[in-house]
Amino acid sequence: MQIAATDRTPAISLTHSPLKLSISGESFPEDVSAFYGEVISAVNQLASTAKGKLDVEMAMVYINSSSIKAMYRIFEGLDAYRLAGNDVQVTWKAEADDDIMQELGEDFKDRFQSLNFTVEQHG
Amino acid sequence: MDLSQAIMLRNNLRHNNVIMAYNGTVSDDLMVTLADMLKERLVANDEVKRSKLIFAVFMEGVQNLIWHGKEHEENMGMILITEHNKEITIMCGNRIEKDKTQGLKDRLAQIEGADKDTIRQLYRDGMAHASEHEGPGSGLGLLEIARRSTQPIGYTFVDVDEHSVDFILAATI
Repeated sequence: MQIAATDRTPAISLTHSPLKLSISGESFPEDVSAFYGEVISAVNQLASTAKGKLDVEMAMVYINSSSIKAMYRIFEGLDAYRLAGNDVQVTWKAEADDDIMQELGEDFKDRFQSLNFTVEQHG
Repeated sequence: MDLSQAIMLRNNLRHNNVIMAYNGTVSDDLMVTLADMLKERLVANDEVKRSKLIFAVFMEGVQNLIWHGKEHEENMGMILITEHNKEITIMCGNRIEKDKTQGLKDRLAQIEGADKDTIRQLYRDGMAHASEHEGPGSGLGLLEIARRSTQPIGYTFVDVDEHSVDFILAATI
């Protein structure tokens, strides 16, 4: 799955070899369920379509509250993949001067403590 | 309105350091346009960290208006951004049905007296509860606004008639 970024939606990439999910950019789509629907179902299907270590990289610039709820669903899908017996490594990247994205990364890490979760500031 | 009234209105805007004032229907397109304008101004005038706080509060405030505006026939949205002593205040107002105010009042009461740690905890709890009621962000937007504000949030409910109330939320950064 490859979704190109727009001014208000992130770039999303889900590949099977290597097994990797990347989401980066802005997120305030006009219709959040329409935008994230297929991503959430693709992640939910991972347990039956893939096996082995999954790398997840998130690098958000701005994300609105309804997108945060959709992202929570994505993390639930990642946790289900972990529960199916696979390693999941999440790297949440925030720009050095972006306290909001840093804190949000910590909030997701707190909610998904079983995932191997790193919050990094860079740039 | 005649010209002398226009001058009074202009003087009032200047006197109160109004950066942005809008009254009317708040649409998704309008939000994107105003967000771009605000971003340009923030890039020119503010440091990055503060700009991000202001932008986040603006976006959540306006998204609340878009969502709740759909519930009411008369779309009476208000967006007001002012600057005073280096602080930016964002006010967002809309008309809501009177019988829908209680849930909002309950959530505001919960946020109003809470310290930043409590708000963060409420926010973490709120992330998990998917769209169980009213908005796409279902309550998370208010917590986002409270969390990013540097002063406690302010709000008021003004009775319009027996069915409607004007709600205004103010956040300062």
